[in-house]
Amino acid sequence: MKMMEFVKHRRIFIAISLALAAVSLISMLTKGFNFGVEFTGGSEIILRVESDHFTESDVRQVVDLLPGDFAMARITQVRSVGDPANIRKFSITLTSTFETDIKNEIKQKLEQAISDMGVKAQVVSFNEAGGYAAEEVRRLTWRAIVIAIAAILIYVTMRFSFVFGLGAIIALAHDVLITLGLFSLTGYELNVPAVAALLTLIGYSLNDTIVVYDRIRENMKKFRGKDIKRLVNESLNQVFKRTINTSITTFLVVFTLLLFAGNVIKPFAFGMSVGVIVGTYSSIYIASPVVLRWVRYR
Amino acid sequence: MKSDRIRLIVVIAVIFVAFVVLLWPTSEQTYEGFAKIFQRIRLGLDIKGGARLEYRVDVEEGAENPSEVVDDVWTVLRNRLDAAGYTEAIVRKTFRENSSFIVVEIPAATETTRAEKLIGSTGVMYFGQVVDESEVDPSTDPRLRDLAKIKKAEWLPNREGNVWYLVRREIMLIKDLQLVSPSIVSANPVPDTRPGRFGYKVTFEVGSRDAEIFKKITQQLMVPESATGSVTAREKRLAIVLDDVVQFAGYVVSVIPDGKAEITGNFSLEEAKQLAAILRSGALPARLEKISAGWVAPLLGADIVRTSLWAGIVGLILVLIYMIVFYRTFGVITDLALLYNTFLLFGILALSRSILTLPGIAGILLTIGTTVDGNIIIAERIKEEMRMGRSVKAAIAAGFDKSFRTLFDANLTTIIAGLVLYYFGTGTIKSFAITLIIGVLGSFFVNIVFSRLLSDAFSRFIRAPRSVEGGVNQ
Repeated sequence: MKMMEFVKHRRIFIAISLALAAVSLISMLTKGFNFGVEFTGGSEIILRVESDHFTESDVRQVVDLLPGDFAMARITQVRSVGDPANIRKFSITLTSTFETDIKNEIKQKLEQAISDMGVKAQVVSFNEAGGYAAEEVRRLTWRAIVIAIAAILIYVTMRFSFVFGLGAIIALAHDVLITLGLFSLTGYELNVPAVAALLTLIGYSLNDTIVVYDRIRENMKKFRGKDIKRLVNESLNQVFKRTINTSITTFLVVFTLLLFAGNVIKPFAFGMSVGVIVGTYSSIYIASPVVLRWVRYR
Repeated sequence: MKSDRIRLIVVIAVIFVAFVVLLWPTSEQTYEGFAKIFQRIRLGLDIKGGARLEYRVDVEEGAENPSEVVDDVWTVLRNRLDAAGYTEAIVRKTFRENSSFIVVEIPAATETTRAEKLIGSTGVMYFGQVVDESEVDPSTDPRLRDLAKIKKAEWLPNREGNVWYLVRREIMLIKDLQLVSPSIVSANPVPDTRPGRFGYKVTFEVGSRDAEIFKKITQQLMVPESATGSVTAREKRLAIVLDDVVQFAGYVVSVIPDGKAEITGNFSLEEAKQLAAILRSGALPARLEKISAGWVAPLLGADIVRTSLWAGIVGLILVLIYMIVFYRTFGVITDLALLYNTFLLFGILALSRSILTLPGIAGILLTIGTTVDGNIIIAERIKEEMRMGRSVKAAIAAGFDKSFRTLFDANLTTIIAGLVLYYFGTGTIKSFAITLIIGVLGSFFVNIVFSRLLSDAFSRFIRAPRSVEGGVNQ
């Protein structure tokens, strides 16, 4: 097998990554994110229909015709103790909020559209809803991020060296930033499952990077005094097959999900698919080359 | 080999326990048909729906910051559900026409009464002053009712409902000397160790925000231990009131300067536990009024879950095939390791009574990734060792030895990130962190023990790679 040059052209790849990171940052700052209703809050409509076979997709059909971002609304059936069997209630949540007169207008349109289908309908309540997931991630603040970074840095410094700890953190930040940037650029909804994908990416990125570092550490002991650039490049070649095979297998699972899975899962599968690609790329082209200059034999 | 025999025993014992836990009979009826073997895996709101309760937050008029009160209610309920292991429950606020509501959705609770129990008390807790007591129901006696008016207090029953206490919120009628919904940092039952005493007492700590006012209250109500039971002392007892029931009434025998107090009363362990739980459960800053109780259907809908499940299975089968095509014997070992780890993980999920949601499934996907990855690392390592001229058996031993350190560092770094998520996250993030940590530990075990066992067992099928295939130039 031919030796591949990962390190030689490192400046090009670092430049590509910097450009991607810059685009991501700009998009995040200007365009922002399409947050899910669990983060932003918005409105919640409780709709009551006098029918025992009116389904969520029937409701979806009706609300698609309404203004605002009703097309992205989440619809779930709810039921209270003591509700008669021929009554169905649906909770419709969406990120828009409305003034009172618009609320009334929507209410009327909704009731009218359903009664045109021959089913009696009534909007029971039209609430402003808080973003509950925002509260859940509220504690994951800068303090948590700093502690996470410090903990990883300390561990990698202990087992490897400070430089590698820094490299792992840079690769991690690189992966998260670019994946977030792609969420912003594509307009995929950033919902709770998407955040789960981002968190999974943290694990994936670290794991991938450490395996590469481990090989470098081993070779540094074996071939003391060898030119660092060559040594790192050889280490990358040695683990390349593993990196590619692992990435392909993980990608197979998440990409199938992206192709076939339903709408709420799409952002999740998107985050995972992008994450695997970015994570693999960074473990080869970024994690080691970016700290190459400071790597020393101990 | 002796060590392989130990591995075999461990591998069989672990999966046996996992299957016993997974297949243990349960009254839950989540699945039908073949999927019944997963009956003990509880499913989250997004996949299965759950109980739904709606409360109106009864914010007192003239409250300084109503939205803060609602936030505090939210935090208390969130903490209660997290403490009960329902990190997957959703607690959210809604508003309409100047009223605030809290909607709680709890997965895996099919009966609303059970859900209400999980939410716990919806009332306000306060420390009050007992000014009198009666063994006659005060509502039947007009003189007792008048007494309440005179004393500016109200009659409240004890827990058994056979004694009524006349309780006043304002201690000694001093203006603003009252402690409603105190912050309690901790409360625990501990054995009473003083000579001549038996049973249990409850120690608790009032948070620093309320410690000063608690000190003033205890200063006012303090009676020396020798004077307890006297007529004047009977008007100076402290009551802990929750849900309009006197949970405890007793004498204050010393001033509490730092919020650290204890309640003695020769309690049984059960009584002490109960009282500690009441103190600890976190007082709500406002009363909750139940609007409705019922159920919510899954957000994802049955059709979405079904397609996603099939997509996942197809992806998994592709991985299994890919591994066999590229790694032959090691591929078979990896596939078996993957199945082993999946059942192990389901066993742990059943044991820990975790609730599986979409984010949890993300954690499982990462586990599949790390299991496959671990095996690939090991397989590549063994191939390398064989290329260097080692025999198959020696290459397996060396390959596992060298991979151990790699996997150890890679997995531990992931676990560190998981621990930070667990500590700082609430709700969904916490449960994701749990799945992540369990999954990574499981895949490490499977890689090191299960795969090693199979590699040794299948060693005669393993062929040394031709040296042209992947010789690395030195």
